[in-house]
Amino acid sequence: MSATLDITDLKVHFAGRGGTPIRAVDGVSLSIAPGETLGLVGESGCGKSTVSNASVGLIPPTSGSVRVLGTELAGADAKTLRAIRARAQMVFQDPVTSLNPRMTAGAAIGESLQVRNLARGIALRTRVAELLEEVGLRPEHAARYPHQFSGGQRQRIVIARALALRPALLVCDEPVSALDVSVRAQILNLLVDLQTRHSMSALFVSHDLAVVRHVCDRVAVMYLGRLAELAPVDTLYTQPRHPYTKALLAAVPEPDPAVQRVKPRVPLTGEIPSPANPPSGCRFHTRCPIAIDICRREVPAWRPVGHSQVACHLA
Amino acid sequence: MSGRLSPGIIVILALLAGFVFAAAGADLLAHNDPLRQSLLMRLRPPGTSTATTSYLLGTDDLGRDLLARILYGARASLMVAILSVSVSLLVGAMLGLLAGWFRGWTAILVMRFVDTMLSIPAILLAVLTVAVLGPGFLTLVLVLGLTRWPRYTRVAYAQTLQVVTLPYIRAAEMAGCGPVRILLRHILPNIAGPLMVVATSEFGLMILFEAGLSFLGLGVQPPYPSWGSIMAAGRQYVQRAWWLTVFPGAALFVLVLCVNLFGDWLRDRVDPQSRSR
Amino acid sequence: MTAPALHVDNLSLAIGDTVVVDGIGFSVAQGEVMAIVGESGCGKSITAQAIMRLLPPAIRHVGGTIHLGDDDITAIPERAMQAIRGRRMSMIFQEPQAALDPLATIGAQIAEALRQPLSRTRPAVQKMLEEVGISDPGRRIDQRPFELSGGMCQRVLIAAALISRPTILIADEPTTALDVTIQAQILDLLRRLAIERQTAVVLITHDMGVVADIADRVAVMYAGRIAESGPTEAIFAAPRHPYTALLLASIPRLSDIPKSQLATIEGRVPTPAEYGAGCRFANRCPRADARCTSETPKLRPIGPARLTACHHAEAMA
Repeated sequence: MSATLDITDLKVHFAGRGGTPIRAVDGVSLSIAPGETLGLVGESGCGKSTVSNASVGLIPPTSGSVRVLGTELAGADAKTLRAIRARAQMVFQDPVTSLNPRMTAGAAIGESLQVRNLARGIALRTRVAELLEEVGLRPEHAARYPHQFSGGQRQRIVIARALALRPALLVCDEPVSALDVSVRAQILNLLVDLQTRHSMSALFVSHDLAVVRHVCDRVAVMYLGRLAELAPVDTLYTQPRHPYTKALLAAVPEPDPAVQRVKPRVPLTGEIPSPANPPSGCRFHTRCPIAIDICRREVPAWRPVGHSQVACHLA
Repeated sequence: MSGRLSPGIIVILALLAGFVFAAAGADLLAHNDPLRQSLLMRLRPPGTSTATTSYLLGTDDLGRDLLARILYGARASLMVAILSVSVSLLVGAMLGLLAGWFRGWTAILVMRFVDTMLSIPAILLAVLTVAVLGPGFLTLVLVLGLTRWPRYTRVAYAQTLQVVTLPYIRAAEMAGCGPVRILLRHILPNIAGPLMVVATSEFGLMILFEAGLSFLGLGVQPPYPSWGSIMAAGRQYVQRAWWLTVFPGAALFVLVLCVNLFGDWLRDRVDPQSRSR
Repeated sequence: MTAPALHVDNLSLAIGDTVVVDGIGFSVAQGEVMAIVGESGCGKSITAQAIMRLLPPAIRHVGGTIHLGDDDITAIPERAMQAIRGRRMSMIFQEPQAALDPLATIGAQIAEALRQPLSRTRPAVQKMLEEVGISDPGRRIDQRPFELSGGMCQRVLIAAALISRPTILIADEPTTALDVTIQAQILDLLRRLAIERQTAVVLITHDMGVVADIADRVAVMYAGRIAESGPTEAIFAAPRHPYTALLLASIPRLSDIPKSQLATIEGRVPTPAEYGAGCRFANRCPRADARCTSETPKLRPIGPARLTACHHAEAMA
């Protein structure tokens, strides 16, 4: 069976100040099988959000290929993009700004069905009511405006809107990071539940390794526009191969002092370099605790090590 | 946000409603024809009454009922203001939306045009246009409407630039909405608040412009009444008949003040950050 | 035991007639990190602002005392308070870049905390920069905030906050805007400085992971009240308030089984307008009974150095 999402050597460069391009994404390849959830983690500025936007055609690739269910998005015309977005939908980070404040929940959820002439009148209203119930809201919520909902409820509306077209691929860009802790669990449970029930593929972008572990089958770690490591979820967390993955895992504060205070620290010195002027060789070498000479000179190959794929000379 | 209104705004809204009611119901409220002259009744003071009728605010130099003329004048003022604000709002908002949506060359062209328009003295432009087209109600509406749109364009442009970056616009693209739907359903309603604030402040200005141009004889033409032309006519009798300038002047003052206060209140509602605590 | 560096007693704050922080109390000793943890709207940030006496005009102090050493700072004039801020008590914020003046050099901004020009305090400022882990302080001292990353700006803020050797440092979500690897650095730094300089740190956060990492003691806030407080290890090991227990269970962990159900707290946090009689967590609490909805549970001792505000705390042991 072919992949739901297939990204090959994706590069997205933005115009930067003074003509130097910002290499937000600089050669990323990954694919997501039907029904699979792939986590994409990394720190701010690593390019993970750009990958997620490129996966649904919201940002055009500078080069490389993005295929959703076999259809190429790179260089696709508006008609193709519109068609593919019926199969690939997106859940955004901030539930406040991802809903039009002047549109009722029902209008927002039903909009895609309406503008694509897939449902109208009673059929549309019934479908919207179904979707609302599916995400744990009530049909009468359709008539309310976003400001009448709490943050968690708004994110449920955003999810219902994304589900309206029954997509094969759901791209979630930091879907719970703007939510309070007690609400976060509700939304994560809902996402996992919906994804399994509809056997959707999902690209789950997050900076939170604990959240990613909870919802994903495989996890890709990104650093400064490139993939550092990609592995099945258990392998990544128990046997991280890339020193950056190890550092990230060590830096996550576990909500348990008994674990957290005895955890070995992998202190990363320094700051994340600018994607306008990435370091030579391995991009992580400026912060890597084990970097040697070759890391500064040569870009590490993307190669399999055990169950993982790693871009590190020393893995 | 609570829906309760403060006593101040209730008074303002009541006064504004009064003006609209006076303008709309001028035919019923005025018991004299504003155009009927009566040379025997010239420049009578307020409160004059005859066997057949009464002149609550007195009469003008042609013996016409001042109250009736002010009521019909309100109609002229409000009609000119409503129509010219509508024209400039429509033109300005549309240009601003398009500039904000397409950006690039469209935006540069539109915004430079705006800068050019704003650097021409409005009154001069109005006087010139009237000179070419000839004075009259329609000319007035067109002149005001087509010279006052740049402020709306600036606001619409700046707001559109902000709104297009928001995720719900991405979401609308994902839903399959075309540009027209995104502009009208997703952007326009969300920039309407600031545009309405501009519209109210412009509304007050339009009333003043109408009065000013009519005062100069470039607006509503005699014998039809307008506050500006009533005052212009009353100017030469200001010693003998103060009421000819004071009453229309007071009406103008109160109406514009109410509109402006309403505009301030509206701005506070639309943009809570600007509210003084 | 010596007197605590900071002692907050029965503090209440209100917006108009709505009480948003309701009789909270805690104390912090020198060299200790005390965390106040809770979700948005629980009142933790305005508590921090009340301690600095930097409340927005809409929020009123309606009761309780805040003792800094022997001085009740709720009762002193504003002039005296200005002398305390930045000297005996400092604060750092969530958005370090927004808290710095973009036009002034970082050296000048740190020197400002000493109320002396940089020309006279340069060696001290440079030493402080070194202490907060900024490499090449001799060059950095003359740079402006835009030349520094978020993590570095937070280090600068910490330097400015600590250079006058205050007894109290209030850190309001100091790492929320930072990446995890940078967060780990900043937390280590705060911990080290608290001990070395014997500063009492009040850490405001929503992140239980941050609490577990560096707090000695913790107060869990819910809807304007303290749900429970006590030593960090004890509270994480055996919470004695259902809210704490549920909150801890609902956090995804690195040790979770993938795609397993997380425990959830049904419903949502009430807004101040919805605060009613009794325990404010009652409508979401699996243990709630009739007493919980009628009688407000008092914060009472349970176990060594621990307080809880739950009628059913004993049943949780």
